[in-house]
Amino acid sequence: MRILEEGKADYLKVDPDGYRACVRDNKPHQMVSKMMTHKEAVERFVRDGDYLAYDSNYFQRGPSSLIREIIRQRKKNLWLCGKFTYVAVALLVESGCADRVDIGFIGFGPWISRAVREKKCTIYEYSNAVMTLRLKAGAMGIPFIPTRSFGGTDGYQHSGCKTVEDPFTGKPVLLLPALNPDVSIIHVHQADEFGNARVFGTGIAHAECALASKRVILSAEEIIDTEEIRRDPARTSIAHFTVDAVVHAPFGAYPGTVQGYYASDPMGVIEAMGAMFRGDFTEYLKKHVYSVATHDEYLSKVVGTEKLAEIRRRETIREGYVS
Amino acid sequence: MSTPATDFNEREFVICQISRLVDDKYIYWVGGGGEPMNSVLLAKRMGAPNLQYLTEDGCVGPEARVPFDPLMTMIASPANYRALQWGTMNYAADLAQLGYVDYGVLATLQVDRYGNINSTVVGKYEGGEGRRFGGPGGADSIAALAWRTILVTDQQKRKFVERVDFISSPGFLDGPGARERHGLPPGTGPWRVYTPWAMYGYGADCQLMIQAIAPFVTLEQVLAEMSFKPAIAPKLEILEVPTEEELMILRTQIDVGGQVTDRGRWIEFKDGKYTFAAR
Repeated sequence: MRILEEGKADYLKVDPDGYRACVRDNKPHQMVSKMMTHKEAVERFVRDGDYLAYDSNYFQRGPSSLIREIIRQRKKNLWLCGKFTYVAVALLVESGCADRVDIGFIGFGPWISRAVREKKCTIYEYSNAVMTLRLKAGAMGIPFIPTRSFGGTDGYQHSGCKTVEDPFTGKPVLLLPALNPDVSIIHVHQADEFGNARVFGTGIAHAECALASKRVILSAEEIIDTEEIRRDPARTSIAHFTVDAVVHAPFGAYPGTVQGYYASDPMGVIEAMGAMFRGDFTEYLKKHVYSVATHDEYLSKVVGTEKLAEIRRRETIREGYVS
Repeated sequence: MSTPATDFNEREFVICQISRLVDDKYIYWVGGGGEPMNSVLLAKRMGAPNLQYLTEDGCVGPEARVPFDPLMTMIASPANYRALQWGTMNYAADLAQLGYVDYGVLATLQVDRYGNINSTVVGKYEGGEGRRFGGPGGADSIAALAWRTILVTDQQKRKFVERVDFISSPGFLDGPGARERHGLPPGTGPWRVYTPWAMYGYGADCQLMIQAIAPFVTLEQVLAEMSFKPAIAPKLEILEVPTEEELMILRTQIDVGGQVTDRGRWIEFKDGKYTFAAR
């Protein structure tokens, strides 16, 4: 294939053979229980220098409790998949955990330009769906995927994409490098102890993240019996053998929503957005991350049972979510 | 009920303009929240009850329960209520790549002569010198793949520029044929730009052309809020003001807290014409 144009940026190395070997050697092919705490899951499966993907974001069925745990453990040099997200990239960069970001969409504010100027963070440009397509290629075990978007943009120049002459039609077509993150964190509605999991409602790329990532941590609102999984297999979004850790995390997406389970906490959302727009997370991190040791302690001491009952009550839509 | 309103603001005006374009014969991909989402929600309550729109999280044809909590325009259950189908982001992008998306509706920070969209940086990109924004998000897929793209932005000199500081999502790039040369599907591209003061289309040269203006501004005022001189349609139309019914629905059902509409100047009907209110 003739290469017509190339983006000039660094990108996570593409290695489908290496990924297959990782699946053979490291993925839990056998059904084994993977229940563990936030602390243990992050200690064991998130490593300094990892490429980290998370599905959805801090406010919408995102793994917010796991993001707070990563910050609490002061992980370093993470490279983030910043698609469809508001404050999570800001939190992870400002807390010193991440120093590279592939951007689809992030919540912005003075922090980001400052981080780039001070060379605390390097940015690579993509779009949301270009990132989910890269994950899709990673989830298919192939080295790249063609797309008909993203061409002609300035983002392209700061990406790892290439344009070739399509050998079938002869027309120019973009190729996106497959993405196989080192680790993905995904918040789900329900999971069994082995990691068979259900996501209800729409999502961003939870299934792709699970299949494409070397290590996968699930946090789940509810832990359910495998018998329940077997009763309605069409509802299984993620299969156990892709999963390394299952963490029981009721209200794991707080201050965000989990569709059908609880609404967002608008004041909690505004507090995080406010810190981001001001470009100062010091107080936010102190209160919401460092002041507590665990997610349970966070819920009881920082959020409070009254707030939890209120957001549970405010979610009145059940259709499509509850089995 | 379809009485022309005598008291409204710029934001409400532009939402009503876009809302009236929306037709339930077509499939729309609505970007994010803001004016695009409000326009579509309004259309669904006015002339297009069977309107189908798609959001970035792969939600197909919801009958959203409004108002939304802050930022909860996608994934959250009220936004996705009574949908026809729930998918994921790749599904939404696939539908657009297949050609199902007739119209994309998007807001932008900056637009240029060729309808290119900047939502990444104002000022210099390199070295973090400029003011950084969120990035293309889903807008790149919409702008690249929808048959026609409707943009909404403010009528300000710094927003209508000769060349955007950064092309986050593609307009006509640098003219006829450029999209195809960069691998985008033929027959797609920018179609309209709406601001609270004017409506633009594109000429055969792929460049912006003013087609209509609001009744509370003059053409000179519009041109003064652009950094380049656009073509002007031979017959300049005057946009119709919101109706009382549209405003009532917008204010009491959709944007109850004023999250989207509580910005911009107010317009009133005084001495037989629409003018900016003194308040």
